[in-house]
Amino acid sequence: MMTPNTKFRKIASAAVVLATAATIVFAEVKKGYYTPSKLGSLQQAAPVQMASDSNYEVSAYPAPAPELASGDGLAEVRIHCSTCHSPRYITMQPPLPAATWEAEVTKMNKVFGAGIPEDVSRKIVAYLQSHYSTENRR
Amino acid sequence: MQNRISRRDLLNRLGVAGAAFAFGAWPDKVRAIGQDPGHQEAIEAFTGPGPNPHWNSVGPYITEPQKAPLILLTDRPVQLETPREYFRTAFTPNDAFYVRWHLDGVPNAVDLKTWKLKIEGNVKTPIAFSFDELIRNFTPVSVAATNQCSGNSRSRLQPRVAGGQWGNGAMGNAMWTGVRLRELLQLAQVKDGSVQVQFQGLETGQGPSGFPSNIFLKSLDLSNTVFDECIVAYLMNGEPLPMLNGFPVRLVVPGYFATYWTKCLTWIRVLEAPDENFWMKTGYRIPDTQRGNTTPDEVKAGTVKTVPIGRFPVRSFLISPDGSSKIPSGMAVTLRGIAFSGFGRIARVEISDDDGKTWVPAKLGQDHGPYCFRTWDFSWTAKSPGRYSLAVRATDDKNNTQLDQPVWNPGGYLWNRIERQEIVVGEAR
Repeated sequence: MMTPNTKFRKIASAAVVLATAATIVFAEVKKGYYTPSKLGSLQQAAPVQMASDSNYEVSAYPAPAPELASGDGLAEVRIHCSTCHSPRYITMQPPLPAATWEAEVTKMNKVFGAGIPEDVSRKIVAYLQSHYSTENRR
Repeated sequence: MQNRISRRDLLNRLGVAGAAFAFGAWPDKVRAIGQDPGHQEAIEAFTGPGPNPHWNSVGPYITEPQKAPLILLTDRPVQLETPREYFRTAFTPNDAFYVRWHLDGVPNAVDLKTWKLKIEGNVKTPIAFSFDELIRNFTPVSVAATNQCSGNSRSRLQPRVAGGQWGNGAMGNAMWTGVRLRELLQLAQVKDGSVQVQFQGLETGQGPSGFPSNIFLKSLDLSNTVFDECIVAYLMNGEPLPMLNGFPVRLVVPGYFATYWTKCLTWIRVLEAPDENFWMKTGYRIPDTQRGNTTPDEVKAGTVKTVPIGRFPVRSFLISPDGSSKIPSGMAVTLRGIAFSGFGRIARVEISDDDGKTWVPAKLGQDHGPYCFRTWDFSWTAKSPGRYSLAVRATDDKNNTQLDQPVWNPGGYLWNRIERQEIVVGEAR
């Protein structure tokens, strides 16, 4: 015959099983969190059409414009630096000393033949120094 | 009694469950209960002035033609870095293989009806080969060889230097198949007095003619023994080369930095005098010192003697675990990675879990030849929770080994310091 004590213990045991299950769900794991963030997603490119001729072709290489700091000289950077390369060559760099940016623009003109007029070059150097230097890059 | 549950304990437990039901929380709605894990954040947009703390560079992923999503350094010309996880195997998949161009005229199409590989310059019989002739008229040869950018890991240098801010992923290894360069040169009959051979691909830039921004040219000394091992490759891991890796053919220079591995190779030019073009005389040069080391002061003083970059020094990497998740203490995990050297076969790889104080040998994987990535693995058990700094170092059969001292030169080349990975070991009970 069940004594009140054993009855209590049976109910208690059942409750413990339930409670333990609940604890597993609510304390030992976390579940079901989602975020609408687009971070990490990337569009797939559609397959390309090919003919069986001797031409081997791929689609255009994607060149998404990087974000550049706004300020005096930005227009000149967009026109002149972008002739040969994407401005990502600027944004990719670590913060560089002011003298390095001047040396880079000089190299583009003297070594690579960029032929940027002197006053424009000065503007470009000033822009790079005031946004992408060790002192001010954020 | 052993299993007795106190009344208070029971009420507490029921309370938790009760509260959960009260909020209407059941599996798909549990987010209201407990602590929100928070939103994932993007990696920083740039690194510096300190060293890049990440294994790879920090750019966004991008999908380029014939490529898996890779890490973008620059879009025009195209420079893409291979993510760390692709180095778990000795052979890097073609679609994950890193990409580095110098000039923005990267080919989008090549017509094999008109394309020819030309051998010209100081030869008795200038000759040109169609793609079909290259694949049919010569005995194919294969070499498993590592291709590593001269600037791989440039973002580690202190102070930082300007240039492509590569993490460690400007490298890859493939089985390259093609024609021996020597065989092609013999058919053209190199004249006496020739000193170098210059290589030019289809790549062109917007810069004016005569400037290095217009064409990219690299040369090798004819006396260099590597000539015996060079091949003009039309297969990469048994498949045509992706356009971005140099379709239709690419020069393979085993053991040498990738600057010599001319992509879309189209002109082979035998020279009577050393090549003085910018890409040989000014670019891609290293200090003629131990490990290519120098200092900013020596560079400023103009006292650094330089030589063209050549073979790549010995390196090794821990690929997994990569530190992105915790490991329970007491559990054996397999550390995996790769090692390679441009100077010889990998002789041993060693692991340290006490920040380089003591070293134990790892097990080397299959040997595919002296220039190939050599995989390694090591079963590691952390006995107690904590933060571990795992270090890995390789030694080649010429006894070149990795050191713990950093490398610095103005070009940002030759980085091969011992790599470290912090691993967080958690409680298992």
